[in-house]
Amino acid sequence: MTPMQSRPVSRHSLGYRFQRSVRRDWQLWVLLIPALLFFLIFCYFPMYGVQIAFRDYKAAFGITGSKWVGLKHFEAFFDSYYCGRMFRNTILLNVYGLIFGFPIPILMAILLNQLNSKRFKGFTQTAIYVPHFISTVVLAGMIYLFFSPTSGIINKLITSFGGESIYFMIEEGWFRPLFIGSDIWQNAGWNTILYIATLTSIDPQLYEAATIDGATRMQKIRHIDIPHLIPIAVMMLILNCGSLLSSNTDKALLLQTSGNIKTSDIIGVYVYNTGLGKAQYSYTSAIGLCLNVINFVIIMTVNAISRKLSDISLF
Amino acid sequence: MAKTKEMHGVKVRETRADQVFNVANLVFWLVVLFVILYPLWLILIASVSDPDAVLAGEVIWWPKGFSWMGYEAVFQYDELWGSYANSVFYTIGGSALSVVITLAAAYALSHKFAGKKFINLAITFTMFFSGGLIPIFLNVRDLGLYNTRAIMILMNLVSVWNLMVARTYIQSSIPYELYEAAIMDGSNHFTYFIKCVLPLSGTIVAVLCVYYGVARWNDYFTGLVFLRNREYYPLQTILKEILATLSVSADSDSFFAAYADNLGGLQEAMRKAEVAKYCCIVVSTVPAVILYIFMQKYFVKGVMIGSLKG
Repeated sequence: MTPMQSRPVSRHSLGYRFQRSVRRDWQLWVLLIPALLFFLIFCYFPMYGVQIAFRDYKAAFGITGSKWVGLKHFEAFFDSYYCGRMFRNTILLNVYGLIFGFPIPILMAILLNQLNSKRFKGFTQTAIYVPHFISTVVLAGMIYLFFSPTSGIINKLITSFGGESIYFMIEEGWFRPLFIGSDIWQNAGWNTILYIATLTSIDPQLYEAATIDGATRMQKIRHIDIPHLIPIAVMMLILNCGSLLSSNTDKALLLQTSGNIKTSDIIGVYVYNTGLGKAQYSYTSAIGLCLNVINFVIIMTVNAISRKLSDISLF
Repeated sequence: MAKTKEMHGVKVRETRADQVFNVANLVFWLVVLFVILYPLWLILIASVSDPDAVLAGEVIWWPKGFSWMGYEAVFQYDELWGSYANSVFYTIGGSALSVVITLAAAYALSHKFAGKKFINLAITFTMFFSGGLIPIFLNVRDLGLYNTRAIMILMNLVSVWNLMVARTYIQSSIPYELYEAAIMDGSNHFTYFIKCVLPLSGTIVAVLCVYYGVARWNDYFTGLVFLRNREYYPLQTILKEILATLSVSADSDSFFAAYADNLGGLQEAMRKAEVAKYCCIVVSTVPAVILYIFMQKYFVKGVMIGSLKG
C-alpha cells in the first residue's frame, strides 16, 4: 500500500510523500480501501499461499509450517504419464480456439457495419449478443440435448440424409469441435463490441471521400476499416495469448465424459479433479503455478514483440 | 435492396459491385441469425411440446402436441426453487456490493494522487497472474469462508476489467471542471462523489449491473468448489445435476426420482424428464436475457464509451 514502486519525482522521501498523500487525499484512499482489501485478500493472499507448491502441505501445520521439499512436485508432474497429453490437449484446444474464434468477430463487425437498414442492423446487433447471457451449464446441457444420438436434432438431420448416428459426446474426436464451436456460437457476437466501437469512431468523412472517389464497399473495407481495426485486433490477440494454457475449466468439466477423456483431459480439469477431489494440494498447486507462470511469460513476450514490431502493446 | 444511398441529402447510386456485396452481406447475416436464434427457438418450442414428439425428434419448427407437462414437473421440484432463491440472493446482494465498491474505487482512480501508479500496477497484475485454484481454495478455507453463503458474495467481488471500464467512463464523461467548481463550493470527495458523480453515472451503473449480475447468475464454478451443503447451492449447480447427464438414470438422481413419484411409472418419468430439461433451461436463462434486453439500450453505449480507451 506504499508508493514504493513509483518513480521518485520529488526530493522528499517516499515515506514523507506517502504520509502527505494520505493526509491530503485520505478521502480517495477511503473510497479505494474496499476494493484494495478485496484484491489483497482474494488475489494476493493466494499468491503468498502458492508456496505450498514447494512444500508438502499438511493441514495440521498450515501453509507456512509444512516441510520444504523444493521442486519435488514439479519433477513428479513432468515425469508423470499424463503430463505430455495434458499439455498437448490444453494447448491444442486453445490454439484451435484462437485460430477459428479470433477472426470471426472481426469479420462480423466489418459486415455489420456495412448493413444499410438501421432497423435490421439494430436487431442483428441485439440478437448476436444474446447467447453470451447463457450460462456454461445451460450451454453444456444444450449440447447434450442437440447432439444426443437418439433424440438430438443434429443426429436426426444426419440420419434423414441416410447417415449413421454419431455419438458426439463419447467420441474423442468430437470434443474439440464441440467445445470450440459452441464457444464461437456463444461469444463471437459479444466479442464484436470492441471492433464495432472502433468502427463507429471512424470519421464518416473518410467514407464519403472514398465514395466520391468511386471506391466500392470492398475497397472501403480494405483501405479504411481494416487499417483502423488492426491496433485493437493486435491488442486482443495479445490478451488472448495470455490465456493459451487456461481454458474454460468448468466447460471442459461439464463436457468431459469417459469416452472423450483422451482429448478433454486438460490441465485445469486435472487440477480440479486431483487437487480438490483427492486433496493433493501441493502437487496440484505446483501444476497450477507452472501454468500461470507460462501464461504470464507468454503474454509478456508477445507484448514485448508486438511493441518492438508495431508499437502496439497493452502496457 | 435499396439501390441508392443517401449522403448529405444527395442520393448516390450504388455500383453493381456494391449491390452484389449488399445481397451477399444480407444473406450472410440471415444465415448467422438463423444459427444463433434457431437453437434458442428450439429450446422454447421443445419445452412446451409433447414429450413423445420431442423424443422422436419431430419438434423442428413449431411446438407439437402442446403441453405444460414439463413446466408442471419443474414447478413441483422444490430443490430447484430453493436454489433459485439462493441465486437471486447471491446475484442481487453480490452485484449491489460489487457495483458500489467498483464505482468508489473507479472514482478514486480517476483522480491523481501519490501512490496511484503503484495501486494501478498491483491491480492490473492480478489480471495476468493468480495464485491458482488450490491456493485460492486453501485461502478461503483458512479464512473460514468455505461452505458459507458469504463466499458466494465475496468471490469475484471486483473485476479488474469492470473497474477499468468504470474508471475510463468517469474520466471521459465527467469534466474535471465540474470537480473544480464543486470544490470551490466547499464540497469534498465524498459529497462530490455522491451528489455529482453518481447522478451522472447512470449508464455505467447499468453496464456494471448487467456485467456483474449476469456473471453471478451464471456462475457455476464458485458453488462447485466452495460449497458442500445442498441448501446453499446456487441454481447452476442444481441445473447441472438435471442437465448434464448423458442418459437419464432415475435412481441416481433426486430430480428424476421426484419426477417419477409425480407421474407414477419410472419408465414414463424417464422418457418425459427429457422435456423437463428444456423447461429448466428456459426457467433459468430467462432472467439473464430479460435483464440484458431491458438494459441493452444503455449498456451497449456504455460499453463502447468505456472500452474505447480500455
